[in-house]
Amino acid sequence: MSGKIGIGFLGFGFLGIMSTLYLGLMWAPSVAIDAFESPAAQRIFYWHVPSAWAAFIAFAILFIGSALWFFRRSPTGWRLHVAGAEAGLATGLMTVWSGTIWGSAEWGTPWDWSDVRLNTFGLLTLLALFLVLGRRSQPDGIETRDTFSTFGLFGFVLVPFTYIATRIWVIRHPGPVVATGSGGSLQSDMSLVLLIGAISFTIFIIGHILTSMHITKLEQRVELLQNKIDRSE
Amino acid sequence: MNMSDVLLAFESVEIRRGMGIVVSDFSLTISEGEVVVLRGENGCGKSTIIEAAARILPLEKGKVLHHQKVVIDSEGRRNTPTVPFGLTLQENGMVGSDTIAEHLSNMMSICKIKTNLAPVLKQYSLDHRVNDLISHLSGGQQRKVSVIAGLLPAMISKSARLILLDEPDAGLDDAAIHTLCEHITSLRLAGHSFLIATHDERILNCATRINDLKQDVEQTPPQGEVWQFPVVELTKSKNFIQNGFTYNFKTKSGFANNGIAGFLTLGILLSLVEPMELENLHGLKMGFALLPAFVAGLCGDPIVNLLRENRALDWWRANTAIPRAVVLPMIGGAILTIISSYIFLENIEAIVVIVGSLSTLFCSLIIGFLQLTTNKLSRPQAVFIRLLTPILILPWSIVVTELTTYI
Repeated sequence: MSGKIGIGFLGFGFLGIMSTLYLGLMWAPSVAIDAFESPAAQRIFYWHVPSAWAAFIAFAILFIGSALWFFRRSPTGWRLHVAGAEAGLATGLMTVWSGTIWGSAEWGTPWDWSDVRLNTFGLLTLLALFLVLGRRSQPDGIETRDTFSTFGLFGFVLVPFTYIATRIWVIRHPGPVVATGSGGSLQSDMSLVLLIGAISFTIFIIGHILTSMHITKLEQRVELLQNKIDRSE
Repeated sequence: MNMSDVLLAFESVEIRRGMGIVVSDFSLTISEGEVVVLRGENGCGKSTIIEAAARILPLEKGKVLHHQKVVIDSEGRRNTPTVPFGLTLQENGMVGSDTIAEHLSNMMSICKIKTNLAPVLKQYSLDHRVNDLISHLSGGQQRKVSVIAGLLPAMISKSARLILLDEPDAGLDDAAIHTLCEHITSLRLAGHSFLIATHDERILNCATRINDLKQDVEQTPPQGEVWQFPVVELTKSKNFIQNGFTYNFKTKSGFANNGIAGFLTLGILLSLVEPMELENLHGLKMGFALLPAFVAGLCGDPIVNLLRENRALDWWRANTAIPRAVVLPMIGGAILTIISSYIFLENIEAIVVIVGSLSTLFCSLIIGFLQLTTNKLSRPQAVFIRLLTPILILPWSIVVTELTTYI
């Protein structure tokens, strides 16, 4: 049942993301010609910001799952950890990839190793990649789960650090345009597209996490049945 | 039984391996002069118990005590035993680039006692090989060295010592097993205690108790001569930095692991640019001067890599602190920075050399720490821990910028 709900969320989320992409590229108003070095490239913002928002949700899920496993040995916690890592990797890569395209157009370089926001977010994505690849390289077991959930817990330290990075050190990455505490600086049409994007990515990430948890549960059931067969032989 | 005589105690211990509980509600006490042999089919948990007693495996429930002091418990406490103990793992736990003498002297250093081991080595037909590298020995000879290292704390101490042997007979010839049985008996009669996992009937006969992980059965062990305590002298134990320096200096693993990467980086930089072309690009020149030392550090701690052989890391971790490379990475980083400073900056500033040296040290320590955190995994080499290393680029680039401004 949870598998079907997850796929339903994924489908709705996907449609919403495609709509956001269309609205962002074709419908949303352009920024002022002198607002950026490369004003046309700014449209990638409608993909970049919602995917970063979804990535933070995924990393929060990863943290909650890691904590539930580490402190309570909860099997649901482990499934949340796995789902959070996979979703974090997917949305993290979407954010980094769209950011590098914008960076190339706006700054003339896809990446800046001295920018705190870029590097901490990049590390979060690499942490998710480490957790996804690492889990596949190891047999499932308490040691594996304890080790990876520890990394999940420590990794979350980077989330608030990444969040405040552009508020404290504006090096390359622009400062916040939403949730600034001063009412924001966006036109209403821009805000609308951004809101549709944020909702769509949220629905998509919920679907991703439900589906991933369902798959992990099935994997664990297969392993249990295999062990039962091994013992009966 | 007098509690002060208890050398090892398991109190309601539960241990997991993989997803399954291998040992549940296990309790056992071993007093002075007892030999307890764990017997059972493969996978029943014999090695798990030995490794828990050696503090290698974490406990789900209960605690383990050495000489009435908690050494590991389910709350996460992991205390270094105040009294040294002997350990022979199923894998030998030795580094191939040590000689027999060096490996045994490591054990003696942990015990803070040294003695002439030639008579013992002769009994195991190893006296002619004492200065040979462990990697040059046959499998059976390596096993003998591992068993002698396990027995050593008892052999050189008048006070009762705990010895943990996991399948010590594996790979030994009949003569060596006979000698081992004689040693177990004579050391038992001298008051030392043993916990042994084995299937070998000859070693089973040496037991005062046989435990199948459910119940103990007492038996009468053979009699023999009491162990003749050798002439010993006290020595100082080495700390993890001294042990790391010895390994690094002897094996040149720091050069092989980190130094070559640093020199290759320098070569690549020189193939890309003419240093004279960088005349006014001060930031770039500083970055180039510090890059080889930084890359050398990114290769991690060479000693951690070296000790992954044959579970040597677990052996060291059970007995004392894991050796770490500290001194030579600093020297290596300084040498690399002196060379690259001379090439790219055309002069050698002390502050740049110090920063280069420290960057190699900190990077190798941080990456070594990350490697150690994944050592509990079944396949630590297969995990993608280096994916996390790019985080070091940000502080390094900040240091380069600051140093450029400063100079």
